[in-house]
Order: sequence, then C-alpha cells, then structure tokens
Amino acid sequence: MSCILLVEDDHDLREMLRTSLIKRKFTVSEASNGKEALLRFKPSMTDLVITDIIMPDEDGLKVIMKIKEIKPAIKIIAISGGGKAGPGNYLDLAKVLGADEIFSKPFSINDLLKKIEIMLGTD
Amino acid sequence: MGNTLSIAILTQDNGLLSKLKSLIRESMPSVKIIYFDSESDFFSADLKEGPDIILSDQRNLLSGWKSFIEELKDQKVNSFIVFFVDECSGGKIVEMMKEGVYDILTPVTLNRILTVLHRLPVQKEEMDNLRYLAKEKNFGDHIANNSRSMLSIINKDYVYEKVNATFCTAQSINTDAIIGKSLDEIWGRETFELKIKQNIDLCFQGNIVRYEANFDTPFFGNRYFEVVFRPIMTEDGQISHLLAETFDITELKHSQKIVNDMEEEFKRLETNLPIGFLRCDKHGVIIHANRAFLKIMECEDEALIAGLGIQEFYVEKGLFEIHLSQLLYPSVRTFGRVAFYTCIGNEIACRVSAFIVTDKSGQPSFIDFAFEDSSRELMLENRLLQAQKLETIGALAGGLAHDFNNVMATIFGYSELLMEELPATSSLLDSVIKIQSAVTKAKSITDQILTFSRQVDQEKIPVDIVTVLNETIGFVNSGLKENIKINSEIINPNLLINADPTQLFRVFLNLFSNAVQAIGENTGIINVRLFVVSAGEARYDLNKDIVADEYIVVSIEDTGEGMEDSVIDRIFEPYYTTKETGKGTGLGLSVVHGIIAELDGAVLVTSKKNVGSKFNVYLPVSAGPDINAEKIGMGRRLLFITGNRYESRILSLALENSGYKVIYASDLNGFIKLLSSREDQPDLVIYMEDSEQMSHADLINIYTAIKIEIPIILISDRNQLQAAEKLVNLGYVKQRLTKPVSLREIHNAIQLSLT
Repeated sequence: MSCILLVEDDHDLREMLRTSLIKRKFTVSEASNGKEALLRFKPSMTDLVITDIIMPDEDGLKVIMKIKEIKPAIKIIAISGGGKAGPGNYLDLAKVLGADEIFSKPFSINDLLKKIEIMLGTD
Repeated sequence: MGNTLSIAILTQDNGLLSKLKSLIRESMPSVKIIYFDSESDFFSADLKEGPDIILSDQRNLLSGWKSFIEELKDQKVNSFIVFFVDECSGGKIVEMMKEGVYDILTPVTLNRILTVLHRLPVQKEEMDNLRYLAKEKNFGDHIANNSRSMLSIINKDYVYEKVNATFCTAQSINTDAIIGKSLDEIWGRETFELKIKQNIDLCFQGNIVRYEANFDTPFFGNRYFEVVFRPIMTEDGQISHLLAETFDITELKHSQKIVNDMEEEFKRLETNLPIGFLRCDKHGVIIHANRAFLKIMECEDEALIAGLGIQEFYVEKGLFEIHLSQLLYPSVRTFGRVAFYTCIGNEIACRVSAFIVTDKSGQPSFIDFAFEDSSRELMLENRLLQAQKLETIGALAGGLAHDFNNVMATIFGYSELLMEELPATSSLLDSVIKIQSAVTKAKSITDQILTFSRQVDQEKIPVDIVTVLNETIGFVNSGLKENIKINSEIINPNLLINADPTQLFRVFLNLFSNAVQAIGENTGIINVRLFVVSAGEARYDLNKDIVADEYIVVSIEDTGEGMEDSVIDRIFEPYYTTKETGKGTGLGLSVVHGIIAELDGAVLVTSKKNVGSKFNVYLPVSAGPDINAEKIGMGRRLLFITGNRYESRILSLALENSGYKVIYASDLNGFIKLLSSREDQPDLVIYMEDSEQMSHADLINIYTAIKIEIPIILISDRNQLQAAEKLVNLGYVKQRLTKPVSLREIHNAIQLSLT
C-alpha cells in the first residue's frame, strides 16, 4: 500500500485529508510543519508528499526542495490557500521547485484523490 | 566753506525740494545741502563766501531774478547760480547768462533736473578753477564755455555764428572751423534734413523746440542728443537768431535703457514666476498680485481682488492677524501651509512666506507675500497615506483569506465525504449540495479579497485593450435604460498591454456599473476616453516609479451624484460601500485596485459632489509580445459554447491569445458533428451556462446519446449554482467555475480536466 506524508499546519484540514486518504486505503504519516515533515520523511517508505506552503518552522517550499533533493523520484502535491512571494504565486513557485501538482484551497477532495491515484498508478 | 562742496536750494516747492535732495544725494553723495524757503531767509543767513552752488527756484520768488542777482552781488556772494524758471525764450536766457547765471533749468521737470545736475561741477577744485577763470575773463563767456552743454548761436541761414568751447571739444575742432559753417556741413546733409531743419524752422516761428534724437554724424558717431532751440529776439521783437543747446545724453539713455531693461526683466520674472506674489499695504489690503497668484486663487483679473483684504481669503479667521503680529520682525517669515478660499470659493492650501517692506524711516509700508500652491503636495501625501492604508488592509485581509481557505477546504472535503456515504436517494443530499454551494460562494469572496491584497498572480498575455473596452461598452449598453448615454472617444493606439483580458473586463465593468449607479434614475452621460500618455506625464500624474515608455489611460467619467473627499479616500477599501445593504458587495473597487496595481498600473479618482466622478485607469504599455514565450494553450482545441456575447468574446480573446484553438458550433447539429468527428474533435468543451444556443437538457441529451467522454468545463453564474446539478451529476463536467472567471482559473481548470 502506498505511503503518503501529509504536511499541513491546520489541524482540522489535516484531519479531513487524513480521513479521506485512509478511506482510500493509503498509509498516512503526518506533520504539522516543515521541520517535522523532514523528520517524518522516510525516503525508502514515502511514495507521495502532500504539503501546505505557508507553515511555521520551515515552509512548504523548503520541504519540497529538500525532499526532492533526497529522493528525486518522489511525487509531491502542493496545496495552498493563496499568497504570493515576489512576482509569482506560492503554488507556481512550488511547481518550479519540484511539486508535480498543485491545488488551490479550497479544492475538491475527490479531485485530489483522483489525481493521487493517477500519480501513484493505483487507479 | 571748507573742502566740501555745498549747494543751497532755494524753493517753496516741497516736492521739488525732496526730489532735488534725493537726486543730489544719489549723484553727489559728499555734497552738503542747505535749504531756504524764501529770499529773506537766504539773505539773512550768514553766508560768508556763500555756497558753491545756488539752485534758485525763480518761479515762486518775489523779487525777480534781476534783483536776486543784484542782492547776491551786493552781499559779495560768488556762487554758481542755477535758475529754475518757467518756459522762457532764448533771449531771456542769454540775458540771464550774461548776468552771470551758470545754468538754467526750464521747464522744471524731473528729466530736466537730472540733466542740469549732471552738468554741475562736482569737485571743489573744479569750482575753484571756474572761479579763477571767471575773474580773468568775461564771466558769461566762461560760464558758457564751461557748461557741459554744447551751446551755439545759429542764424536764419542755418549757419553757426557762435559756439562754446564744449561744442569744439566734442567735435575736436577749433571754433574757427565751425563759425560760419552751415549745419548741414557739420551734421551731414541727411541728418540735417531729417532731424534738424524743421525744428530750427519751428523755432524761428517763435517756438521753443525741445527734442531728443539719435544722430549719426561724421563728427560724433552715433550719439543721442537732447536739443533745445530757443529763439533770440532783437529789440524790435524780430527773431534774428536762435540759441541751440545740445546735450549728449547717450550715457544717460544707455543707463536708462539698462534700468528699463532690468525693470522689464524683473516685471517679466515677477509675472511669470511660478510662485504667487502678492503686495499688500501694511494692513493687508491687496495692491498688486502676479499671474501665478491669480492662477492659484482662481481669479481672472487682478482688478477683481485689488483693494480686498488678504484676510478675507484665509479660511481660519484670525490667522492673518496672528501672521501680521509675527511679521513685525524685519526678516522673511515662513508660515507653512495655510488654507485659503479661492475667488470662486474652493478651498486650497498654500505655503506662505511674507516679509515687511519698510520705508526709509523704518516704518512698515508694504507686506510682500509669496504663495506656493501645495495642493499637489497635499494630494500626493494623502495618496501615499491611502496607499499605505490599503497595503495594511491588504496584508490583514490576505492573511484572513488564507486562513479562511483552510477552513473552506475542510468544510468542502467533509461535505464530499458525506456525499459519498449518503445513498443516492437520501433526502440529505440536497443539504450537502447547499453546503458545497455556500463554500463556492465563500471561495469567490476570498478570491476577491486575495485579488485586492494582490495575493493572486494574474495570467498576463498581450492584450489589445481597445477590444476589451469596446466589448465592455457593448455589454454595459445592452443593459442600459434610456436615461443614460455612453459617449466614447476611443483612439486606437495599436498598442498592447500585458494583462488578463477577463480581469480588465472585470475592472471596466465595475467602473461602468459604479457610474451607472451614480447616475441612478436621473438623466446622465458616461464619457469614456482612451488615450496615451508619455512616461513623463505618467510619472507626474502617478508620482511613482514608471515601468513603461508609455501608458494607456482609460477614463470613465459620469455625470452622477459625485462623492465627498472623505468618500474618495476610502472607496478602494474592501467592504467600504455607500450603497444600500444588499446592493453591492463593497468589494468591487477594491478588486479593481488589486487588479490594476498587479499590472503596475494605477487608478486615479477625481470627483465633485453633484457634478460627477472620473476614474482614470493607467496601464503600462507592453514592450511587445515576447515571441519566445511558450504559449500555455499549446494549440489545444476548445469547443466553446458561448453565453453572453460580450463576455464570451472576452473569454475567446483570452484563450486564443494564450495559444488555444477555440472552435464554435453554429447549432446543435454542428455541435454533434464536431463532437463525433475524428479530425475536428475538440479536446474539451467549455460550456457557459447562460448559453442561448444550448440548454442544460440539450447538453445532457447529446452527451447521453453519443456517449462521448470529452470533458466539460462549466462556467456558471454565481447565483445559479444549483441549476446545473443534473449536468454535474452526469459526470462529464470535470471542472466548474463561477463568474467572473480569470484566465488563470480557466487554465488550471483545463489542465485538471485533461489529466
């Protein structure tokens, strides 16, 4: 079964995402900020990372960069509720840094799940 | 009288006295002046040797000039006498000079006084020399020879009979070379004919002729002369000769010209000075104002304000009196910004400085003011303040919207989980759909907030703004009632700007909708203009960093109710609205602000209560399309089922310019044909829910019938979210967008639908 690392600082949203993922029989590990995410990330086990961008203690952009560095083959989905750094959206920046897909909050969980299944070939 | 030259003035004319005094002080500062107002005073004074020079105003002395000279001789006063007399003939002058009068001033005018003073000897030595000579020879001749004027006696044949030494010196020839010569020989034929002859003739008819002229002569070169011809009468009353007095006033003219030029220059400077200049008397009554002052005060003519008190222009009563009290110190005083009413009642702010002009005794005579219009400064400060305020609100609102999106994502996610668990027949499904619909609405609000706080990156493509503006006008016109007319004056500059056409449409639509609401039920006009300004003009107007060589300005002006300044200051704030509850979201203009700011543009607002409002949108002109830029659409074929034609055209424009191939179906059959065709089959269908071409039912029927799985992107109106549920439930609708749709949203939707 695929293992997903879920990085999101909003507790309620994380819980909703976890519930949905578990329902689809994914194994889920969680982190509430970037620092924690890097601790929880296990290159040999984690297949996909879902990460928020704006978080305390290392933001999502750093998480994407570091994880991609450790395991280039990892699939990453960035989710964000908006925000801009300089000339571009955080989400666009995330894509440039290595995120494979981006979702802008609020999004449809069904769309997200469908996308994950395509990415992990579990469809 | 020692070594100081002394001049006695004898006159009863106080005006003349003060003029003389100041002129003498100016030209001969070391001279001692003594003054008498009657002959008896003069002669009873202890004169000893007498003053060096006596200026005697003969016009109002009692005894007559002859007895005055007699008395002087009796008292052994040996002064140089200058008589001020009324107009008199050359004969009398010759007689006076024979009696020993040194110089004669007639008539008594300021100009003549200057000339006479100029001729006076100013050195003591010079005086002594004159005195010495006077003892030696005939006094009259010496006076004549030492006069600074060229004196001559001319007979009826225009021939010189007698000339003084000055005449000869000036011409560098001796007396014999002139005596017996005619004037045309000395002055040249042409000069004589043109400038001398007729005046001499006039003098021989019994007139004193006085004139100034420029003479270009072989002897003198080009000089200015003052010439006086006085008739000399024989005892039987015939005019036999004339006395010609010629005085070289070239230097005087020259200095006069310099003074005049300086005066002219100063006047021009004062008139054209960009600073308002105002001269008031010591009580603040306006005497003179320059052009800049009149302009600042919105006054057409200086005459309209002359005589008014400057205090009447002060907004704050009593402030002028305070200023006046601070002015008694003799230096420039700056009062900073002061509020004034203009002549037509507008309130303005000026930086004011002033100083007191005193007369010679140190008493205040005038107050000079300098006014600098600081309205622009004030306006810019205010604008900066508003911009900072909007930035702060933006940061706050952006953070809030961000957190809200987390909450919305949670709610939406759970509602989807719930929907999955509910049986298709459940009566609760409708409630879940309503929750989702509410979240969609909330998302559209947070989107607007994020747009305002510039947290949304716009997809920018090169856009022909004229097309977007014309489509917007078409859209607005289609919904207008009879009472409002749109006048458009749009030039096509053939320039592109980098923007999302759908967002520009949104901006213009918002501004038009405000204009329409401002006019309300009244009759009114909306004037739309499009023009181009240079970077320099834009820098002046916007007072911020300029990012392009040119800016396109779209100006939307209405004749509606207008706004107070306090409203203008706040209109771009989110949730600031003057509309009745329910009539507007209060987000419209804040979104306009966000979109335009994101394009490095700006919106300038001017408005006047009961006159109307004007919104000028400044947008930087794009340097030109980037030919290397990868077009995001990559030639994908989109079958577009259009709704409102104006909105649809904007969307088509946006999609085509982004590299999509947009195709249309003419009718239902065409649509079916395209969907089932092998070569022309579209990658995606974009369906605008308000399409008149195809209803929901048609679309459902066609999809069910031909069993083709081409994804649909549904664009719905915000207030019709539930109407399309059947279509959505069918499963072909991959993405659902609500108006207004931005190019970025549609890009994302297309990408999600095609993977």
